[in-house]
Amino acid sequence: MGRFVVRRVASTIGVLIAISIFTFLIFQAIPNGDPALRLAGRTATQTQIEAIRHTWGFDKPIYIQYLRTMEKIFDGSVVSYNQGFNVEEEIRRDLPVTASLALGAGFIWLALGIVFGALSAWRAGRWLDRGLTVLSMIGVSMPVFFLGAVLAYYVGDKWGVLPPGDYVKLTEDPWGWLEHLVMPWFALSVLFIGVYSRVLRSTILDNINDDYVRTARAKGLSERQVMIRHVLRNSLIPIISLWGLDFASVIGGGAILTESVFNLHGVGQYAAQSVQALDIPSVLVITMFGAFTVVLLSAIVDVVYAALDPRIRL
Amino acid sequence: MTRYLRSIGAVLVALVLPVVMGACGSSSSGPTVTVVQGTAPDYLDPSQGYTTQAANSSWVSYLGLYTYAHASATAGGQVIPAIATAPPKVTGGGKTYTITIRKGLKYSNGEAVKASDFLFTIERAIKLNWGGAAYFTGNIAGATDYSKGKSNTITGISANDATGQIVIHLTAPYGAFENVLAFPSAGLLPSTTPMTPQDTSPPSGFGPYEIKNVVPNQGYDVSLNPSYASQAIPGVPAGHVNIHVKIETNTTTEAEDVLNNSADVFDWGDTVPPSLLPQVQSQAASRYASEPTALVLYFFMNIKEKPFDNILARKAVIMALDRNALSRLDSGNITPGCYFLPPTLVGHPSTPCPYGDPSKSPNIAAAKKLVAEAGLTGYPVTVWGEERQPRKEYIDNYAATLNEIGFKATTKIIASTQYFPTIGTLKSHPQTGFADWQQDFPNPFDFYLLVDGSGISQVNNENFGEINDPFINSEIKALTPVLSSQLSSVASRWEKLDEYVAKKAYLGVFGYEKVPKFTSTRINFSQAIFHPVYGLDYTSLTLTK
Repeated sequence: MGRFVVRRVASTIGVLIAISIFTFLIFQAIPNGDPALRLAGRTATQTQIEAIRHTWGFDKPIYIQYLRTMEKIFDGSVVSYNQGFNVEEEIRRDLPVTASLALGAGFIWLALGIVFGALSAWRAGRWLDRGLTVLSMIGVSMPVFFLGAVLAYYVGDKWGVLPPGDYVKLTEDPWGWLEHLVMPWFALSVLFIGVYSRVLRSTILDNINDDYVRTARAKGLSERQVMIRHVLRNSLIPIISLWGLDFASVIGGGAILTESVFNLHGVGQYAAQSVQALDIPSVLVITMFGAFTVVLLSAIVDVVYAALDPRIRL
Repeated sequence: MTRYLRSIGAVLVALVLPVVMGACGSSSSGPTVTVVQGTAPDYLDPSQGYTTQAANSSWVSYLGLYTYAHASATAGGQVIPAIATAPPKVTGGGKTYTITIRKGLKYSNGEAVKASDFLFTIERAIKLNWGGAAYFTGNIAGATDYSKGKSNTITGISANDATGQIVIHLTAPYGAFENVLAFPSAGLLPSTTPMTPQDTSPPSGFGPYEIKNVVPNQGYDVSLNPSYASQAIPGVPAGHVNIHVKIETNTTTEAEDVLNNSADVFDWGDTVPPSLLPQVQSQAASRYASEPTALVLYFFMNIKEKPFDNILARKAVIMALDRNALSRLDSGNITPGCYFLPPTLVGHPSTPCPYGDPSKSPNIAAAKKLVAEAGLTGYPVTVWGEERQPRKEYIDNYAATLNEIGFKATTKIIASTQYFPTIGTLKSHPQTGFADWQQDFPNPFDFYLLVDGSGISQVNNENFGEINDPFINSEIKALTPVLSSQLSSVASRWEKLDEYVAKKAYLGVFGYEKVPKFTSTRINFSQAIFHPVYGLDYTSLTLTK
């Protein structure tokens, strides 16, 4: 376990350094990407542009700019070029929103993905399987911005069943929190439910004829026990792995479209605004945060993996 | 099984924690209306804010020596005294402005308003690199030295707190200086304000409103300033409702919210999506209007680069522009036109356009003939444009027009944030492309900066066509010193100049943008003033019930 933790920490640091350098360089490579010109505005004089260049350190070599930015990221003082706000404070403020979205949606897509996938495999080739396959394909093909907009318009604006957008804090109004998140949870989950149920179906069908299943049946276990205790448990391994990565990417700002359609103001929406404004510090911090979340969650997934499959050693 | 369920449980608890974390919200008394903005203001500190979204709130929260009349149309372009007692006394051949401030005024934090606060305010705007700081450094004596760090103060401004008198020395006569003094960034701040950006907690100011409870990129409150009513400035109303500004990046949701009355005011800086416009116009006809603005849209043509160094090529382009089609690309929100100065400004010519009626169909055959006559058929042209809608579509239409009249046009579309810095870098040598100009203040001079030959610079160039015409340059020089209050006396001269620019086919002007005035049923629509410079005037918002 100790070696596992050391290995993971070392690889996380390596990944973060690589990602930060790569992201920083991408912005330097954009033609005419001089941030001083953008910050100065259209009527600025050369003196003003130089002053901005000096104030922000854009007149320094690129590696110095990188090191200074990283220093500010680690001491928590990094601010957005475009608005002057502290980036880490913004992410801290937006994180509860994204976590709310990811937790609810993650639970829904995992639960329904497992139920639909198991039912589909159990009734493989029959009408239920075919119906669920069609539903899964619809889910996978439905763009979240379209589904979100349709839901917000009909369920939110037209029928007034649920609020069409915005976020309410759990601590302020738990019922309002739930009401505001039901539609985003559903919109975000649909795609994942489709994918997970298809993956689980094929894994179950692969496992169902394995030797250990035959052995379990030979031991006299009921079909229900064989399916749940043996087949499903083993088939869940790739699902848990997928879930960990998808959940991490949503926490790390991956739900850009869902957050924007429902105006939730989470990390994803902040990422979209920052990329649009080519705001290097914000994009850099969000990218590193996303990478860190993915690495952390995948380490947790590995632990769960080991619990599910005793053959795996950390 | 229990073992890993426990692990999952621990992970879930760790993940739920951030959800439960939360800061407090805002609270305000009195009626509150919600304004939805698609784009967050650049900065809410008045010494930094330069976008329309920032100015919309700061012009009623930070009054300066002068401000604009709270009225619609041309009346709203009139500069009126705010903290100053009267219009400035201009002496020294237009180079010295003497102003006295009102006595007994107090900022929202209770501090007294002093004459020396003006000097502090201008220094702070320069130090914090306000986007329009060139208006100060380019005109006030000693301001450039201060910005370069060669001086500790702006030597051209002197202030006497005992008498309340401020004397400003300019480097040269500049007639629009009263307009410069009316910028929200010249809105007085207490000299105890830190010389660092205060964007999450904007500084105290003097005005009907104060900006509070800023949640970056999510929203902020523009609350009634309780201390203003008792010291209200004539012509600057105290306001009736508190404003909560909500940032909503999706303009469709933004428009739907106002249409369905879940928000009250649609930001005039945004466009109602074309897909929703018919619904808005039919269901909310009594609370939707398209208001003219002083925003001119045009295609620049670089007269230093072939083929537009040839006047025949430029004339051909102007004759071939399909302005109605271009307007349709912006949901019909463009008033077709050919003159550089918008109709809302003094100096807009009343004479017919020299190369055909802009509201009618283009004359493609004549344009094609001109291109052939100039021997430019098949000449390659790169058309520059920016990514955002509908500007990219303008460029597609424009390139198609150029191809139709005989050029061989291709487009070069770049990210919106990069567009103007890119085409403003002289070494890019853009042949032609999209450009626009939104007035900083209602004075023709503000537009003619863009065609002034002396303004061509290596970077941040705004004279994209590199127009350097001696007649234009001399007229600008002669008209610059005319005071804003005396603009009407030189209106015909500005008209002649604008006609000259149109005749020389320097700019492919295709129209002037109209913007939405769109509110919920809660707002008294007819009483809400649409200001020509700062859009919907918050002080004029009242509730129907």
